[in-house]
Amino acid sequence: MFCSKKKSLEVERIVKANDREHNEKFQYADNCIHTSKYNILTFLPINLFEQFQRVANAYFLFLLILQLIPEISSLTWFTTMVPLVLVITMTAVKDATDDYFRHKSDNQVNNRLSEVLIDSKLQNEKWMNVKVGDIVKLENNQFVAADLLLLSSSEPHGLCYIETAELDGETNLKVRHALSVTSELGADISRLAKFDGTVVCEAPNNKLDKFTGVLSWKDSKHSLNNEKIILRGCILRNTSWCFGMVIFAGPDTKLMQNSGKTKFKRTSIDRLMNTLVLWIFGFLVCMGVILAIGNSIWENQVGDKFRTFLFWNEGEKNSVFSGFLTFWSYIIILNTVVPISLYVSMEVIRLGHSYFINWDRKMYYPEKATPAEARTTTLNEELGQIEYIFSDKTGTLTENIMTFKKCSINGKIYGEADDGMGQKTDMTKKNEPVDFAVNPQADRTCQFSDHRLMESIKLGDSKVYEFLRVLALCHTVMSEENSAGQLIYQVQSPDEGALVTAARNLGFIFKSRTSETITIEELGTLVTYQLLAFLDFNNIRKRMSVIVRNPEGQIKLYSKGADTILFEKLHPSNEDLLTLTTDHLSEFAGEGLRTLAIAYRDLDDKYFKEWHKMLEDANTLIDERDERVAGLYEEIERDLMLLGATAVEDKLQEGVIETVTNLSLANIKIWVLTGDKQETAINIGYACNMLTDDMNDVFIISGNTAVEVREELRKAKENLFEQNRSFSNGHVVFEKQQLELDSVVEETITGDYALIINGHSLAHALESGIKGDLLELACMCKTVVCCRVTPLQKAQVVELVKKYRNAVTLAIGDGANDVSMIKSAHIGVGISGQEGMQAVLASDYSFAQFRYLQRLLLVHGRWSYFRMCKFLCYFFYKNFAFTLVHFWFGFFCGFSAQTVYDQWFITLFNIVYTSLPVLAMGIFDQDVDDQNSMDYPQLYEPGQLNLLFNKRKFFICMAHGIYTSLALFFIPYGAFYNVAGDDGQHVADYQSFAVTMATSLVIVVSVQI
Amino acid sequence: MTKMKKASQICQSKLPDNTALKQQQLPAYRLQLSATGVLSGFFATGAFCLGVGIILILSAKSIKEIEIKYTKICANCAELREDAINFDKECTCSIPFYLSETMQGNVYLYYKLYGFYQNLYRYILSRSNSQLVGTDLKDVGNCAPFSKSHNGTPIAPCGAIANSIFNDTIILSYNLNSSIHMEVPMLRSGITWWTDKYVKFRNPTAINLSSAFTGTAKPPFWSKSVYELDLEDTENNGFLNDDFIVWMRTAAFPTFKKLYRRLNRVQYFIEGLPAGNYSFNITYNFPVTRFKGEKSVVLSTLTWSGGSSLFLGLAYTVTGAVTWLAAFSMMAIHLMLKEKRTLFIER
Repeated sequence: MFCSKKKSLEVERIVKANDREHNEKFQYADNCIHTSKYNILTFLPINLFEQFQRVANAYFLFLLILQLIPEISSLTWFTTMVPLVLVITMTAVKDATDDYFRHKSDNQVNNRLSEVLIDSKLQNEKWMNVKVGDIVKLENNQFVAADLLLLSSSEPHGLCYIETAELDGETNLKVRHALSVTSELGADISRLAKFDGTVVCEAPNNKLDKFTGVLSWKDSKHSLNNEKIILRGCILRNTSWCFGMVIFAGPDTKLMQNSGKTKFKRTSIDRLMNTLVLWIFGFLVCMGVILAIGNSIWENQVGDKFRTFLFWNEGEKNSVFSGFLTFWSYIIILNTVVPISLYVSMEVIRLGHSYFINWDRKMYYPEKATPAEARTTTLNEELGQIEYIFSDKTGTLTENIMTFKKCSINGKIYGEADDGMGQKTDMTKKNEPVDFAVNPQADRTCQFSDHRLMESIKLGDSKVYEFLRVLALCHTVMSEENSAGQLIYQVQSPDEGALVTAARNLGFIFKSRTSETITIEELGTLVTYQLLAFLDFNNIRKRMSVIVRNPEGQIKLYSKGADTILFEKLHPSNEDLLTLTTDHLSEFAGEGLRTLAIAYRDLDDKYFKEWHKMLEDANTLIDERDERVAGLYEEIERDLMLLGATAVEDKLQEGVIETVTNLSLANIKIWVLTGDKQETAINIGYACNMLTDDMNDVFIISGNTAVEVREELRKAKENLFEQNRSFSNGHVVFEKQQLELDSVVEETITGDYALIINGHSLAHALESGIKGDLLELACMCKTVVCCRVTPLQKAQVVELVKKYRNAVTLAIGDGANDVSMIKSAHIGVGISGQEGMQAVLASDYSFAQFRYLQRLLLVHGRWSYFRMCKFLCYFFYKNFAFTLVHFWFGFFCGFSAQTVYDQWFITLFNIVYTSLPVLAMGIFDQDVDDQNSMDYPQLYEPGQLNLLFNKRKFFICMAHGIYTSLALFFIPYGAFYNVAGDDGQHVADYQSFAVTMATSLVIVVSVQI
Repeated sequence: MTKMKKASQICQSKLPDNTALKQQQLPAYRLQLSATGVLSGFFATGAFCLGVGIILILSAKSIKEIEIKYTKICANCAELREDAINFDKECTCSIPFYLSETMQGNVYLYYKLYGFYQNLYRYILSRSNSQLVGTDLKDVGNCAPFSKSHNGTPIAPCGAIANSIFNDTIILSYNLNSSIHMEVPMLRSGITWWTDKYVKFRNPTAINLSSAFTGTAKPPFWSKSVYELDLEDTENNGFLNDDFIVWMRTAAFPTFKKLYRRLNRVQYFIEGLPAGNYSFNITYNFPVTRFKGEKSVVLSTLTWSGGSSLFLGLAYTVTGAVTWLAAFSMMAIHLMLKEKRTLFIER
């Protein structure tokens, strides 16, 4: 695999279709990608260079170089060399295998075939050989090979549908349409081969939603925008073929431009370690200086005269210089305080913990056969220190499996029973679900139960029919018949699926669709509607409409959408129904259901024709096309007649309530950040015990301007203090005390509070001025719910807490909209759920159900933290005990940098003599078993407070190590001083002493575990 | 059916194995510490330490030892040795002393050096083990600057350690009465480690030693060649000379004593050294005043535990005492808490 690498700064890209010679002049990158970092030749130098960029490795290399200088080398070179080489080869092997797999996947991608128009013929060509300016043919469900300019497609108007899941994680289909001039080319190979348009466009960049360029062809210029571009990584859907011209290839494509390096996350222990290592280094230098001064003095007083024994000729060096050399020698000797094996062992332990997470059967979800997965191996102990959890709602707390629960049609609620007492109870509990046996096409999974609705259908209530017709007609669902002849719906969003399935169960069965017709079965009779226009859904419109002509020839506009938007578009005659439906809607929302309003409009032929013509005109416009089209949509979607509303339930996941309760018992604060409506969000909050009736107060911030929000925040805070004070102080509050109290109260809030804030207010609150207020208030509350927030706001909230609270945060979510939050939190957890893999791919840990979070944090996190802390304490202790003996010995050997132990003992002390027990402890140790850690969530708190390993703890370990080294040195010293063996021989020789010390060190240190 | 099975197998393959290791359920032993257990453990440890300590102290007390520093006594010799020019001038020195008690059993004669740093980094390295085992006489490894003589022949034995060998001769004579002075018979064998004498030090193989050491020079501070160290016993020459081997085993601390001779228990001395008048006749060669060191001779007996000093015994005793103290205080706390608890229950 050899890809040519060319780099030049592009300002503007000029591509001519079907003209390779012309395009080659610019030396654009070809379509060959390489994500691999090395090849066989460059591996060694590049990898080594990268490895020595790490502080630890560089430090040890520095030591190694010091040791190679004979004047100061007090240890032989292998003491540092052996571990360093071990570590570096291990890392290199890992990098090499990683890179090998990247090479393999690159090869696989580069060798994919696609049809390319070469020499007026369609030929199969490998992806890597596709060049800029080539015309490529794509077929349905194929991956797009490069960034293409759409020329023509099988669909009318040069439309084509693409799925961009791999790019942005959104699974709904997106429409792209070709310029009308190029869409005329169709599938005519000879005409396509003659196409010689020139595209002048922006240089390669990573903006997925932006493209500007101009196509010049046949003496006219056409402006190009993002709607005309199909990006690499997309999949063509529902379009049998399309042709496109390659504009960006290989590394220039937006997909590759976006695959930047992910930010490297480090744990707080890592950061603490770095400072500690610096301190230790300082300590080392101090000891070195002390010993060097000692050496100078000794040389001056004693060594000078002693020199005849060492050097034949006297006066070879002066004492100051000798002291200087001794300093470096001691730096080498004492470097074992921070041995390289510390880093290696830490990695090994973390790896072990990650495997335990992967292996845990209790986090395995059998229904989807997904085990939990630790995607990063470096963050485990941080799991034991989480203080804030930011959770998405849909798909995370809930299952994201929608079921149609209730509806309000023409002011009547179906789906619940109204008994005499006015108490509403769910029918599902009392009655058997409606028997859909009458309907052979019914889907058994749907549990909608209200016989009254079935009766209304039987009675032939026209409003009900119309309502169900909207459900069956107005959607983007695709139908398919499987081998057994059953209808299968391909749904983009679970909400839609639920609605279409509900209509199906109630006798309005969506059968099939073509680009011009929709066929449904209305209570047994097939009816084909002519699809006149499709006004698609987007986040601004928040509604979707279809305009159909029914067999009787009437033109109707069916619309469904967010109530707030749709209600503004209603005909004034709906006033009564509107108030009734609004009541129903808030009732639905109060039960945690997701709601949509349903409306229709009769259109007269003439009006529609006029409108349609305007729409077509607008569609052919080059400038301001989107604005014009949106305006036209706006125009026709008015004077709607309200039919009712639907309510879809998104069930809570299993075990969510217990998990939430347990986590809050563990003093973890859970914030819910959701795109849902305020009522829905609050309700989910109640449903999973985050909000309870026992709460002293629930503050709702929903102001629309900065001033309002500020005022609301202030009031909430006042309110909070007020209540709190009355709790703690009784009646008498002195003015003076009050001021002092304010600061105290923040820390000692009694009682439970909750804060609910919506997206608008959040946007204002996140402005610098009131940020602090918001944070202060939010942190005093037990529960915080943010609703109607955008992905960016989610990330901002996380950043806010991270920055100002200095707390360890965890973000959990399942959708592409959670990716930013997952990436910005200390730890990101992805739920592999309904909404694709985007969140999982961005996450550090992933599993299938929210309830596993409890085990991940309370068991694995706690253990990891506990073990890592114990390991670090022990390791520092061990090495202080080991190394400081040299320091004491220095006073007895004329500060000559003589080591106490044998060279090989020093080399192998950490990797052989004492490595296994501490590793085993670091990997396996359990202070309490998993059941107990789940049962007593309070055990989690030491981690949050950082109690098990902090600077104080470190000093205790250090003191302990110093004490041990003192005992280790001076007891043998005393014992060896002036003794003789039992046969009278003297045993106080250096070797015996060294062996005794080494043995007792290994024993003492091992027993310490 | 088969399809179902296959599917379930696929599911199975993703399900983590249910092994004790993977599920973190390895058998573990959790200490359940009871107050009585801990206390009795403490008491037992304390008792053990105290016992050992007392025994060690008693045995150390039973050792009889005489040490005579002779640097000052032989001041004139010391002065002479300060200047290296006088190296060939012999200087002897006689030190009379009175032994008030008989030294029972084996008696050992040591020399002791104060302030001689045999543990200097460069000093310890300055030897060639391959030369000392007799394999390669010309290998002078780390010995610089004591590796080659002025004319370039390798020094055997090379290095600073060998060069600085302790070269005083000490003769102990027993003065039975004012006229009869008899030399106390001493053994110079058996004063080395077995491994040193038979493994680590070997003479090069040759017809005789002097030919084996041809082509080498003697260390600059030595007056005799290495094969002439013991004129009486030819076996005790070359690298196998006991005094040499003892010296080559470097001491860990700047103050050390090394075994010089042991008493040959014959004639008068079957029981040991009888009380009476003795004198040391010392040929003073080794200079110490230059580095402010001191020399002494030591006569000592041994016990079963060797020539241990008081320190180890004291250390054990102190540890035992501290352990008991801790145990008592813990017991007091334990009893107090127990009382409180019973009181609480009674109420």
